[in-house]
Amino acid sequence: MIAILIGIAGGLFYGWEISPVEYVDTSPDTLSIDYKTDYVLMAAEAYQVENDPALAVQRLAVLGGDPIEMVVQAILSAERNGYIDSDLALMRQLSEALQAWHLQAGQGS
Amino acid sequence: MNRDHRENRGPWYLLTGLIVGFVLGLLYTWAVQPVEYVDTNPASLRVDYKDRYRAMIAAAYQYNHDLVRAQARLELLNDEDLVRALTEQAQRTLGVGGDQAEAGSLGELAAALDVVIAQASGAGSAGISSPEVRTPTHTPEPALTSTVQPSSTATETPESPLDTILPEATQSESTLAVTATITRTPRPSATPSPTPTETPTRTPTSTPAAPFVLRTTQRLCEQNQPGGLIQVIALDAAEAQIAGVEVIVTWDGGEDHFYTGLQPELGRGYADFDMAADVVYAVRLAEAGETARELSTFTCSGGYPGSWRITFQQP
Repeated sequence: MIAILIGIAGGLFYGWEISPVEYVDTSPDTLSIDYKTDYVLMAAEAYQVENDPALAVQRLAVLGGDPIEMVVQAILSAERNGYIDSDLALMRQLSEALQAWHLQAGQGS
Repeated sequence: MNRDHRENRGPWYLLTGLIVGFVLGLLYTWAVQPVEYVDTNPASLRVDYKDRYRAMIAAAYQYNHDLVRAQARLELLNDEDLVRALTEQAQRTLGVGGDQAEAGSLGELAAALDVVIAQASGAGSAGISSPEVRTPTHTPEPALTSTVQPSSTATETPESPLDTILPEATQSESTLAVTATITRTPRPSATPSPTPTETPTRTPTSTPAAPFVLRTTQRLCEQNQPGGLIQVIALDAAEAQIAGVEVIVTWDGGEDHFYTGLQPELGRGYADFDMAADVVYAVRLAEAGETARELSTFTCSGGYPGSWRITFQQP
């Protein structure tokens, strides 16, 4: 029993101290909310130039989940983290545009 | 007998216990509670996702033209050389027939960054001191170790349109107009790399509405440099090189598109094209304007292949 406990302890020590997990080859859906928020802001900035909601949705899809909901979450995060008003405005514009686009697409189908 | 037996098997019990414990540990970490990647940072993204992230930064830059913000975002990806990462991705994008606008955005950002990074390093600074800045920005909290911080006091610096490529022509024959030529070091990819000297403080960008005129069509004979190129340079009215201008090369039965600024080490407004033998090319810029025609490979008096230098300028 003692040997087993020593073995487990050895495994944990090896895994945490000697060779800890290195995050490589991850996908954007694993990014922390701060980075996701900045990604959404980038999408909002790009949207100002491209004015293409479908492209924005495509870009946001890599973050996982519902893109529209992702934008809402990002706005909340941005508000918590003190993003400047102009950035918040861009994200809100994107949110409204995506919701309108979603409604339009729903009516069209 | 029993005591001897116990003494003999004692270490084996210990070893077996260690192995069982280790296996239990693995079972726990692999099956019961496997690793879940959460709250990662952009540096850990897979290569293709990094490309998407980079393209996103370039797309956002098209709106904000905020180099501080773009650089801070790019540094999150932990690329060794931000400019090279951008230009390589732009070339890859064009190479696979990807989105040309995306490639152009990447090239434009690379060219702009190249200028300010060179300027900052020349001034002994670790980052951008006063590039073109719109507003201070919020940057993601975790792991943002960049030395470049958005500054609310940063101001635009006056435009300095001079952009110098090393004027080291070796030989030049039948030039229609003499301008600076590029000193080139042959590389395996046949893309020359001079050292830029002066850099402007602000990167001119293409003005979509302004047409270009064909300013010079020049034959270049540089014995030690790769020949057979059509070198294109796009200048604005103040003779500053412009990145992100789409160049269209056409020939009988073919057409190619690429952008200036994808090799910022050769100049922000520079682009080149490898000519094939016995093919006649025409070059123009996508933003309307004049066309340089009848361009084909030629042999210089020394017996080596020459190149064409085509300079377009906004009036």
